[in-house]
Amino acid sequence: MTHQPMNPTPDAEDALLPVEGIAGSRRSFLRLAGFGIASTVLAGCSRGPVRRAVTYLEAPDGIVAGRGYKMATTCAGCTARCGALARCRDGRPIKLEGLPDHPLSGGGLCAVGQAEVLSLYDAQRFDGPRAARAKTTWANADREVARVLAKVRKDGGKVRVLTETVTSPSTQAAIDGFCALVKDGRHVVYDALSSSAILDAHERTHGRRVLPRYRFDRAEVIASFDADFLGTWISPVGFARDYASGRRPDGDGAKMSRHWQFEARVSLTGGRADRRLRVAPWETGAALAGLCDLLGKKAGRTSPASGSAASAPHGDHLAGLADELWAARGRSIVVCGDDDVGTQTLANLANDLLGNYGTTVDLERPSRQKLGRDGALSELRTELASGQVALLIVDGANPVYDLAFPGGLGGAIEKAGLLVSTAGLEDETSQLAHVVCPSPHFLEAWDDAEPIEGILSLTQPTVPPLRDARSLRASLSVWSGGAADDRALVEAHWKQSVHPRAVPEQRFATFFRQALHDGFIELPARRRDPAPFQLAGVRLPDPPAKPDGGRLAVVVYPKVSMLDGRHAHNPWLQELADPVSRIAWESYAVLSPATAERLDVAEGDVVRLRTDADGSPVALPVHLQLGQHDGVVAVARGYGRSGTDRFADIGPDWWEGEATVGPGGRIGESAAHWLTVHGETIRTTGTAVAIATTSDHRALASVQEYHSLVVPPHLAPEHGEIRRAARTVELDRFREDPEHEIHGAHHHPTGNLWPADHAPEGNRWGMVVDLSACTGCSGCVVACQAENNIPVVGRDEVQRHREMSWMRIDRYHQGDPDDVQISHQPMMCQHCDNAPCESVCPVLATIQSSDGLNQQVYNRCVGTRYCANTCPYKVRRFNWFEYPRKSELQNHALNPDVTVRSRGVMEKCSMCVQRIQEARIEARRQGVELRDGDIQVACQDSCPAQAITFGDLADPKSEVSKKAAGARAYRVLEETQVEPAVRYLAQVRNRRS
Amino acid sequence: MLAPNVKIIVLLGVMIGGAIIVGTSDARLPGNDQGYAPVQPIAYSHRLHASELGIDCRYCHYGAETSPSAGIPPTSVCMTCHTSVTASGDTLRAEKARADAAGEKPRRVFSSEIEKLYEYLGLDENAKPKPGATPKPIPWIRVHDLPDYVYFDHRPHVGRMECQACHGPVETMERVRQETSLSMGWCVECHRINVPGTGGVLLPGQEHPRADHHVSTDCSVCHY
Repeated sequence: MTHQPMNPTPDAEDALLPVEGIAGSRRSFLRLAGFGIASTVLAGCSRGPVRRAVTYLEAPDGIVAGRGYKMATTCAGCTARCGALARCRDGRPIKLEGLPDHPLSGGGLCAVGQAEVLSLYDAQRFDGPRAARAKTTWANADREVARVLAKVRKDGGKVRVLTETVTSPSTQAAIDGFCALVKDGRHVVYDALSSSAILDAHERTHGRRVLPRYRFDRAEVIASFDADFLGTWISPVGFARDYASGRRPDGDGAKMSRHWQFEARVSLTGGRADRRLRVAPWETGAALAGLCDLLGKKAGRTSPASGSAASAPHGDHLAGLADELWAARGRSIVVCGDDDVGTQTLANLANDLLGNYGTTVDLERPSRQKLGRDGALSELRTELASGQVALLIVDGANPVYDLAFPGGLGGAIEKAGLLVSTAGLEDETSQLAHVVCPSPHFLEAWDDAEPIEGILSLTQPTVPPLRDARSLRASLSVWSGGAADDRALVEAHWKQSVHPRAVPEQRFATFFRQALHDGFIELPARRRDPAPFQLAGVRLPDPPAKPDGGRLAVVVYPKVSMLDGRHAHNPWLQELADPVSRIAWESYAVLSPATAERLDVAEGDVVRLRTDADGSPVALPVHLQLGQHDGVVAVARGYGRSGTDRFADIGPDWWEGEATVGPGGRIGESAAHWLTVHGETIRTTGTAVAIATTSDHRALASVQEYHSLVVPPHLAPEHGEIRRAARTVELDRFREDPEHEIHGAHHHPTGNLWPADHAPEGNRWGMVVDLSACTGCSGCVVACQAENNIPVVGRDEVQRHREMSWMRIDRYHQGDPDDVQISHQPMMCQHCDNAPCESVCPVLATIQSSDGLNQQVYNRCVGTRYCANTCPYKVRRFNWFEYPRKSELQNHALNPDVTVRSRGVMEKCSMCVQRIQEARIEARRQGVELRDGDIQVACQDSCPAQAITFGDLADPKSEVSKKAAGARAYRVLEETQVEPAVRYLAQVRNRRS
Repeated sequence: MLAPNVKIIVLLGVMIGGAIIVGTSDARLPGNDQGYAPVQPIAYSHRLHASELGIDCRYCHYGAETSPSAGIPPTSVCMTCHTSVTASGDTLRAEKARADAAGEKPRRVFSSEIEKLYEYLGLDENAKPKPGATPKPIPWIRVHDLPDYVYFDHRPHVGRMECQACHGPVETMERVRQETSLSMGWCVECHRINVPGTGGVLLPGQEHPRADHHVSTDCSVCHY
């Protein structure tokens, strides 16, 4: 790093003392300085600016100034619709958490859900309707729509409502009602992250276009073909919770599922699998066909897949998998994330051969989280292109961005007579829309959802509307001649359709109030005729062609933070490092190390990806990923979104600072143009690209590699230093001798340099992190960011290793490229009993509390950064700048219970001491004992896999103590004898050699 | 040129004199607002309400027991009484006597301060909303205002000690004044001598029973 003078003016000193005669005189300088100090002190003695205390005119019911409260709602961050709990303060939400006991998500919430609270306070959201890109009134906007509707009634024409999956029954009813108003009205549904192939496959094999609810909690053997069900597939929070419940290697009710993953890129799910096999996109179908053949032989049934085992990839492994699946008939599950309908029908066949329908694959209460039909888009495209669509209403989707590929909706959308967008924030579609009727954020709106048939949940406003917005339901009501009162619309639907099915004997008002309070209700399943499996529906796979001539197949995948790009405007999610690549603020081309070597490129080298179809190449930096298939290049979707140019100046403003946005002025590049239309579905994998190297290099903002500690060989102990920070054991060996497997080969020095004179009194707060349960989803990282007012620093600062997150998810690779395993380890301040940081702080800014917390006192800190240098875990963060918090509206998301740190002080995980205090004080106020589990720290609170336990280590009966005493418990770098208060439970893998 | 000893005497004189001035005046360390008593938008008298009328502190500051912040009451709390009580008792009685004597209905009479309250709330003399007027909250000036990095919580204190222990004899104040320094040293002084869970509370100057076991003085009790 080069240093430049802050003010390069040559006569800077003259400028300081401009009075002629005294310039340069040391004595006069001191005189002026002394006067300055004195006047500052005098000024300090007087009262600062007068602070007003503005009160309520009338306090809202139940709100007491300064006291927190919670409201049940439903997360609308994606279509999974998990139950959420909004923690509010003084009439506004400050944090989102999982809703405990919710039958789908069970109290978990992912990173996207956690970050939604920041999106609510986004100052760039539309305020009021717009027409022709200028502000207008609702009356004008409605008049415009009414004019077109009247014309359609008179002259004919098509009316289309294009949405993503509508999980809200009341909105669905409104859409159906609206479409029925005109002769040719239709609702077209597509999902950017589509499950269309699964739905179509069930239509073929079961006669019903349904998405089953997959029950990973009931599965003992899991075979996943390219389905990232712990990361982004359909309902990751619910799946992670179910998956973790089936993998408890010790304790009461110990059970351990066996998980096989077949995939081309390395997904979050694949990294956790017990056995991971590399399968190229063109091989997935063949692998499933081979499996079906093997299973069919065992079941004595023939199928179109018969005879395909011989040519299937990984034949030996498939035979092993078939044996395991067959042994666990009815207790196994085959899931597939492929976009090919034929391949999906084979997954159905496999599940039917195994008798999994009705047990692990539930069609009785199917999922309603993905209902999109990709095939409907081509028809819509034809209608649009021929100018037949008089009115196109787009809601919850961004087709201009999502479908920007040859054969996608593309420019055809501009041919709609009137294009109405309901985007709450400007996106590619609303830029083209004639009329924008912005939707509210779900935290300020009424809504409902039915993510799984029979599980209905409600959304209630947690804050008065911050923007002048109207939901699609209300807009459709107005355009159908009704009223715009959204609450009344939701209530009316529930009164008519939900209440009679639930508890008709109860008064509706009581029922609705209770449902609002609980956030959800459960209804009995609708009675349906059974849908038997029809072998005739099975179709052989139609895989993409294997690229030739040294080209690679593109795999377009969603990342846990970006999904399809709908949250690209959210800085927390942009700065969230991907749990697999550990890179933030960027899209990149992922290559396997072998392929990179063949192409002679290294990490960060910019390459150009060019397809046959379009001439314009896309330049992306390269990231190397161990375990990826050598024939593919993986690119994340959701990047290159319009509106990400807002991040140009997000970081601190200083002379060496670099812009966060890429060369195009946006964050990353869009991957949409590599999607292809494939029969009735949109294919995200398989497009062949040629890769050309360039001389450019773009350093990636990685948060992992720089923390690696490499011990020089001449300093390392005898057998080389092996520090197993994230420990993994194999199930069989663990069952034989847990003690040896976890601790055996470990280096234990004797003697202790630290005096044992500082035992904590009373409580001793501690934490246990179960690495076997942790999926690496990173929900805790965003939870911590929201709870503890952690600033966003921007790409350049992340690249300088100055990110501020108190919690990080370290990633470790094991195994060889053919069978790579990934471990994730949440790492935060370990609150050591013998904390090295405390010993080196010259000003006692970091000291031990009486209950064992390592306290950081911001007001004492002078910023020597000794503590960060000495910390063995590298969890301390330094405020190099006064990080800009420019948006006053967004500052409403700050937690009022946590200090906003200023420049020049160190900070780190406090174990959510504000929550400890709150629980303690509240228990004392109510005159009750603080019970185990009363304190839920932010990272623990919404963990989908319940991997984190917090509590009192001094209480032997507490959950945390019990876990800490278990066979799997160990402490990271325990040989340093710093006695951390955080224990990790070693990851157990169900591997068989 | 003065002799050196004269210089020293002058210097000593200045120092002692300065010390006397500082000691007897309002001069304080930066951030210490002891004695601060700003003029409020309405001359609300705590003496009248808390002492003469005997209204409990927690009637208006109802957050003290359940919330970290005691809170400044919403204006609706004022209006629970001031819808009917619009002036001092003597004035109201005099008006009633006058009206009785004249054989007419008593007129509404307003004290100057209640008039301001009605003005803020946009109410007419019958406490009905005035057409066209928007009710505005009263812009009270904060007297007890801790820095943002301190998290004082009323809940563990209220009920265990008198409000006056920190806020001074508010019931004697016409205009509220910050009686104590509210400095960290002042807080810690109390925390050091009190034993948790005993119910009783000792104030500075009183003898403390067990020096080794007192209310937490961990930094993270107030700073996080």
